[in-house]
Amino acid sequence: MKKVSILHTGGTLSSKVDYKTGGVVAKYTDKDILSMFPELREIVKIKSRLIRNMSSDDMNFKHYNLLAKEIFKELKNSDGVIITHGTDTMHYSAAALSFILEGLDKPILLVGAQRSSDRGSSDAGLNLICAAQFIKNSDFFGVGICMHEGMSDENCLILPAVKTRKLHSSRRDAFKVVNDSAIARVNRYGKVEFLNYTKREKGKLELKLINEKLKVGLIKSRPNMFATELKIYEKYDGLILEGTGLGHFPITKIDNFTSENKRTFDEIKKITKKIPVVMTTQCLFGRVNMNVYSPGRELIKIGVLGNQLDMLPEVAYVKLAWLLSNHKKEVRELIGENLRGEINHRIKDEFL
Amino acid sequence: MDYKKLGFKCGLEIHQQLDGKKLFCSCPCITNKTEEPDFKIIRKLRAVAGEKGEKDVAALYEEGRDREFIYEIYKDCNCLVELDEDPPHEVNRDALKIALTVALLLNAKIEKNIKFMRKIVVDGSNTTGFQRTALIAKDGFIETSKGRVRIDTIFLEEEAAKKIKEEGNKVTYRLDRLGIPLIEIATAPDIVDSEHAKESASILGMILRSVDCIKRGLGTIRQDVNLSIKGKPRVEIKGFQELRSIPRVIEIEVERQLKTKNLKAEVRNAKKDGGSEFLRPMPGEARMYPETDVPEIIIDSKFLKEIKLPELKIEKSVRLEEKYGLRGDLAKEIIDDDIDFEVYVKRFENVKPEFIAKVLIDMRKEIKTRFNLETKPDEILEYLNDGRISEISFFELLVEKAEGKKINLEKYKQPDDLESEIKKIIKENKDASFNAIMGEVMKKFRGKVDPKKVAELIKKGV
Repeated sequence: MKKVSILHTGGTLSSKVDYKTGGVVAKYTDKDILSMFPELREIVKIKSRLIRNMSSDDMNFKHYNLLAKEIFKELKNSDGVIITHGTDTMHYSAAALSFILEGLDKPILLVGAQRSSDRGSSDAGLNLICAAQFIKNSDFFGVGICMHEGMSDENCLILPAVKTRKLHSSRRDAFKVVNDSAIARVNRYGKVEFLNYTKREKGKLELKLINEKLKVGLIKSRPNMFATELKIYEKYDGLILEGTGLGHFPITKIDNFTSENKRTFDEIKKITKKIPVVMTTQCLFGRVNMNVYSPGRELIKIGVLGNQLDMLPEVAYVKLAWLLSNHKKEVRELIGENLRGEINHRIKDEFL
Repeated sequence: MDYKKLGFKCGLEIHQQLDGKKLFCSCPCITNKTEEPDFKIIRKLRAVAGEKGEKDVAALYEEGRDREFIYEIYKDCNCLVELDEDPPHEVNRDALKIALTVALLLNAKIEKNIKFMRKIVVDGSNTTGFQRTALIAKDGFIETSKGRVRIDTIFLEEEAAKKIKEEGNKVTYRLDRLGIPLIEIATAPDIVDSEHAKESASILGMILRSVDCIKRGLGTIRQDVNLSIKGKPRVEIKGFQELRSIPRVIEIEVERQLKTKNLKAEVRNAKKDGGSEFLRPMPGEARMYPETDVPEIIIDSKFLKEIKLPELKIEKSVRLEEKYGLRGDLAKEIIDDDIDFEVYVKRFENVKPEFIAKVLIDMRKEIKTRFNLETKPDEILEYLNDGRISEISFFELLVEKAEGKKINLEKYKQPDDLESEIKKIIKENKDASFNAIMGEVMKKFRGKVDPKKVAELIKKGV
């Protein structure tokens, strides 16, 4: 029987109603969860530990490092690790673990729930069972997210850690792959169907942590922006721009209503001189192409990175922090290198 | 059956659906859909521990069955809320207002803080695995011919999905009904015998129907009966669709209880033949826990002031009876059928209100039973109002109209001078008896004249 470690971090999956406050809080312990889903023990040999009991919104780089270190420890004696995690920022954590755990040769699956485990209709059970079944019945290695494929309690998908985003606030199938396709489909009985999995060469697992002192920003473009909103990032270590469309910002003065745009442009220019600034698109689907319109070309000219890339803003954010921590001198070159599958050069029609 | 001697204890639980929008989303309350669903989803449920940490007995019973639930979904009356894919929205204030109106009509005390709870239901009839329910009022009463029946509690809750079929471990539910606001009224065990149960249910039904936005039609109201006799555990019988079956089901259940040893507390389902069958064990105490997705509602005096109490059906009916001298049963049916009687009275002011009532109820029913036709009385009432026909030819004309025939008033025209016509007949039949003359007159003018009037004239002429 394969040995699997379950590391709990909290979230809806570990939550139940708090009768004092009336809200839902992360309260279940690792033992509670195992006793709730006894069938897990019939699939794999389980070792379970509580790392934190928190909602994922409260996480920061320190938690990513902590989690990575715990996984590193567990992998010495385990065939794989399941991480129970809040869903709100699960895609950030998944990306962070992908970058930190370089040379990973075992499966790491993040599992969450959109309905708390104290409800009869919770999706937690199927997500956990499918994650265990997938580890048991496949030779996959790398980081993935295991969540419902649809609104039915039938199949789960194994989603690529660096190409997946929470796209719905409440549905069970909120996690969707963007600009790529799911790795595999798995059901509660252990049937595994690979959909898009290219095995990488196995390396030697090495922890490449994120510098916890780093400050990286992420700002979304919108009409009526002010230069002062960007000014704060002068003191940051890196900045991700979430532009509109192909990667645009309001930087052009076209009439006497738009003099602020000129100031915004000057501010971005000033920041790019100090720190790496990477453009992404708030469309999520599709790639950045700053060659098409002249404001885009202006941005390239002043040193904004990320042209031609299809990285999710959240993944670019984590990647930039990781590059600043581990490859500070090569950030400008490596940001466009496909290190963990975060960049797809061939976007197919069926991805949207 | 000597109910007193048996230590008979009985209470009712009434469930009434409301119209409008659903309780926790903006979907319309459409039920009994017959067309194919737009799509289906499959779900499983797990028994979960309640507030006290123990898994509920009824919940465990359901878990043991390891069932798979197939939910049929309609896009015009389902959204993500019914699919348990979106948390509940804020409670439907209109539904709350209707429920509070009912509570006030039942003389109940309204709760100041209304807090929704999750009642664990693992038969799959709720996609969430629980039913959202809130106590909105308690300690009310109704007056009956056998004394006061107390109302213990009034809940506002969401209706469950309708079961379509069950095959092996697969159960199919349809989600059109899920989430419709439902008022649950539970009486104290003050009901003294089987007939009294029927009477109490009928009074509660009358009060409910007096309020706007109460759903009508098959399945929109359900009566459950809770009963026990001395030395036996409580049994709940669910699913009475008709009031008149209540006494018989109660009698049969009491007989069954008297015969059965080691009786268990259980929920039973009312059958058409008057008996009942085992449905599931009685739920334990650990069924409820707070619905934390719905904030508590504070009922303030401003909100209560917005509630206007309607005239009860029975009051309306008594008013019609007294004002227009109608038969009690006619007045009741006019109100039950929501006929705006006073509009008819005003429009046809030369016609006796009592006759209008007979046209609208008695004649309509007679023509329906005898000819299976729907009546359209307005045109004929107008002829009567204008004096172009008499009451005596009314029924025949109503039938002709219902048959879709063209109305020929000539046929029914009263003779211009009835008096001289009668005199003529008396002259022609000098020695004939009253009855014989009457017969002659009626032979000639049947359907056109009022026999009472003819009799009067003959007497006068003789």
